[in-house]
Amino acid sequence: MHPERWFDIVYLRLRSLLRRGAVERELDRELRFHLDEEIENNVRRGLTPSAARSAALRRLGGVAQIQEECRDMRRTGTIESFLRDLQYAVRTLIKAPAFALVMVLTLALAVGANSAIFSVIDAVLLRPLPYPRADRIVRIFFASRTFPKFPLNPFDLRDIRARNRCFGAIAGMTRVDRQLSAMGRPERLAGFRITAGYFRVLGVSPALGREFTTEDELPGRSNLVILSDRLWRTRFSAEPGIVGRKIMLDAEPFTVAGVMPPVTHPGNEYHSVPDGDTVDVWTPFTYRGDGSDRGSHYMEGIARLRDGVSIAQAQAGMDALVAQLAREHPDNTRGWHPMVVSLYQELVGPSRRMLLVLLGAVGLVLMIACANAANLLLARATARQREIAVRAALGAGRSRLVRQMLAESLVISLAGGALGAVLAIGGVRALALLAPADFPRAAAIHVNGAVFAFTFAIALATGVLFGLAPAMQAARTDLQQVLREGGRGASAGTRQLWLRNALVVGEVSLACVLLAGAGLLLRSFVNMLRADPGFRPQRVLTAAISLPGAKYKTGKDIVGFYDRLNRALGALPGVRAAGIGSDLPWTGYDENFGGITIEGRQPPPGQDYHARYHVATEDYFQALGVPLVRGRFFTPHDNMNGRPVIIVNRAMARYWGDEDPVGRRITFEDHPKDANDWFTVVGVVGDVKDHPNSAAAEPAFWWSVLQNSFDEMSIVVRAETDPAPLVAEVRDAVRALDPDLAVANLKPMDEIAVQSFSRPRFTLFLVALFAALAAALAGIGIYGVVSYSVSRRTQEFGLRMALGANAWDVVRQVMAQGIRLALGGIVLGVAGALVLGRVLWSLLYQVSPSDPLTFAAVAICAMAITALACYVPARRATTADPVTALRME
Amino acid sequence: MSKPSDLLQGTLDLLILRTLALGPMHGWAVAARIEQTSQEVLQITQGALYPALHRLEQQGWLRAEWRKTETGRDAKFYALTRAGRAQLEKEVAQWERLSTAVGLVVRMAEE
Repeated sequence: MHPERWFDIVYLRLRSLLRRGAVERELDRELRFHLDEEIENNVRRGLTPSAARSAALRRLGGVAQIQEECRDMRRTGTIESFLRDLQYAVRTLIKAPAFALVMVLTLALAVGANSAIFSVIDAVLLRPLPYPRADRIVRIFFASRTFPKFPLNPFDLRDIRARNRCFGAIAGMTRVDRQLSAMGRPERLAGFRITAGYFRVLGVSPALGREFTTEDELPGRSNLVILSDRLWRTRFSAEPGIVGRKIMLDAEPFTVAGVMPPVTHPGNEYHSVPDGDTVDVWTPFTYRGDGSDRGSHYMEGIARLRDGVSIAQAQAGMDALVAQLAREHPDNTRGWHPMVVSLYQELVGPSRRMLLVLLGAVGLVLMIACANAANLLLARATARQREIAVRAALGAGRSRLVRQMLAESLVISLAGGALGAVLAIGGVRALALLAPADFPRAAAIHVNGAVFAFTFAIALATGVLFGLAPAMQAARTDLQQVLREGGRGASAGTRQLWLRNALVVGEVSLACVLLAGAGLLLRSFVNMLRADPGFRPQRVLTAAISLPGAKYKTGKDIVGFYDRLNRALGALPGVRAAGIGSDLPWTGYDENFGGITIEGRQPPPGQDYHARYHVATEDYFQALGVPLVRGRFFTPHDNMNGRPVIIVNRAMARYWGDEDPVGRRITFEDHPKDANDWFTVVGVVGDVKDHPNSAAAEPAFWWSVLQNSFDEMSIVVRAETDPAPLVAEVRDAVRALDPDLAVANLKPMDEIAVQSFSRPRFTLFLVALFAALAAALAGIGIYGVVSYSVSRRTQEFGLRMALGANAWDVVRQVMAQGIRLALGGIVLGVAGALVLGRVLWSLLYQVSPSDPLTFAAVAICAMAITALACYVPARRATTADPVTALRME
Repeated sequence: MSKPSDLLQGTLDLLILRTLALGPMHGWAVAARIEQTSQEVLQITQGALYPALHRLEQQGWLRAEWRKTETGRDAKFYALTRAGRAQLEKEVAQWERLSTAVGLVVRMAEE
């Protein structure tokens, strides 16, 4: 309402606080002026000067009282006493450095871990995507009974664009990488063919030139290109006049239509670009033909919702529209359903569960650290009971004592928070390094103001939380009793002991939950590593290569090139086996053929025969280490002159039931005309899953490279010993055949394999780290309680020993106390983990969330930590000297 | 009649705010003005006046400034802020409601 009022208030408070002297002097002057005025007034009314003066003074009353009241009005008393409390707290903590250090360090670890995880969550989940009004952008997929998430047919997309009323803009994209040949340095660029309005969907306008229009989708206009900011700057020296000029892509001239400002790739499912990688060239998608055949699906839909249209409304609109298309094109479009998903959900959704699990884990660590701190403070409050009682006796009010104790916990928590923030900065750097390669928005993760605000807030909250119990306890101190106890140190009341035991039980149970989580993740990670990948990635070098269509016009050109390359690679020294194939295992390749016909067989009702399709050379499988189950690999005779052949995997072989698929035939034609339309199975190879944690391998088959080649292929070379020296050899072999070809992604296969594990490894590493932290904190908690009770019972132990008890009896007695607490914690923790384990379900691989082995290990681990934590105080108990103990009395 | 302590704190605030609505003045003038206007019925001592002035200032209703008086002496002048003016309106309305209500009850008792 009145912002200047708040400004006034803050200014005056600060002034009263910081310039106390000036404010007091001002009040003096003000009162003196009043007195003078009063005297003058009295004189005017006819009093003598001395009478006027005494009358005025009488009326003024006690100056000191007025001053005090004015001071109260300034309301700085609370702040001042709070500052004094803080000073006092710092002084007392400095006097107990070990205590303060343990508290601050444990809190710093917990707070730092929380801030680091929060910064990841902030960057990935909370911050909006880098597009204007990004919440209006959606992805469009098709789904069928067989394929839960599939690209669209371009003509279906075009009809949707023309007829829908839900989207302000809608566009399709399909990945087509290009090879830039400029200045003798061939470079493979990530590229997309896009329909008109693609950038309008993203809400980004070109920095130079223009975006594609629907006219650019017509045949003959396909040689246009839009360049990325990065490409324009690195390869074309940011030349402002580039629009309209021709550049060479795939050995063909393309006219530059525009240059984009830096724009983040929205991600894509089909031939996906890894997150954080730039896309450098966009070319127009060309519509050829009349759109009557809509069988092939490779366009990924992206759209911007019209204002006021919700995703549910768009989904309903699309359902109706696709139903209409299915009536018009019953052969192709029937059986497909549209799927409208928000871009945010599409990008971030798959990581959400994992991040929330991490946040939960790190939150548990913070709770344990809180319980631990409260426990330590309680122990200290007991030790300080006399001091507190004396202060209370000297007139400190109850609320003042509570404030005093809270000030101490705040000093600790804020120090912990500050150190935690430093740890978080380091932690976030480490996280960014550790983060899996396919992690969405990983590049955006860094510590920022929001993270620091979060750190400060949790530090403050923990300070109040763990300070409150001890503070209340202190306020309840029974003055007379404590002072009466005289020489004996104060002891904790049963109520306080109960609270401290409860805190330790809570700590142990939370730590058990984390240990169980870490154990389950570890088990599933080991399972994943142990699972037979279906190939042997060791000593294998891989590379990607792409033949420009302008130079390799016919299938014969392409087959010829790969045949020559295959021979050249096989002849390299130190190569055990070399092959070329359409793709590599575990790279997410999922080209799919639906509606295959198998000779003499009918699919079960409501299903169809479908399979991943690939091509391979004769030694491709040996190079990858994929075993042959039946039949044979390809031979040089499986060429254009031979009969068409395929090799299938075990999953596809199941289509034949118990029969041997070798020698059987399949076709891709609805009405096969002659023998050349039939492909004969010559071999069966082992299964390789799409991803290491995929549930099962998909049915798949391979064509012979000599009968059917793609222009984009992967090279696989298995070395006799070390594949590293082969990098240069492979490059040279390609260059010898065609000096204009770029060899991309030269890397060892184990690297791809390692990357495929990076996500479960990341989760496991962090949860295990948090679990270790939690276990250590719980150990400190048990140690604190047990060692306190030992120190209270020194005398008793001393007497027992004097009366003939042996050390073992004493140790057993002390250990029993710790183990009782731990048992309570373990029972609660295991019960909690059984309930919470279900949230982990989607992150587990072949492990039940209630895996008995894991839970047994957790219990043993917790017991071991307890034993360790009790051992030191137990040892101390055995060394109790009865004489000293009695003297203490 | 009333000793200052009998004045409800809120009423004193209202009197000060109302008086300062006439224009900026120093503490003594505020007290003198209230006494004069109330025909010496309301007497404000410094013990009540200054804490009240300081409280109102701290709450942002008043703003204070050192200025010369007509006689050329330094005095702390208080003036209403915009927020103070709004507050005055609120308090006047409240006072009127209250006094009407009290009046109604008192008169009923007399009947």
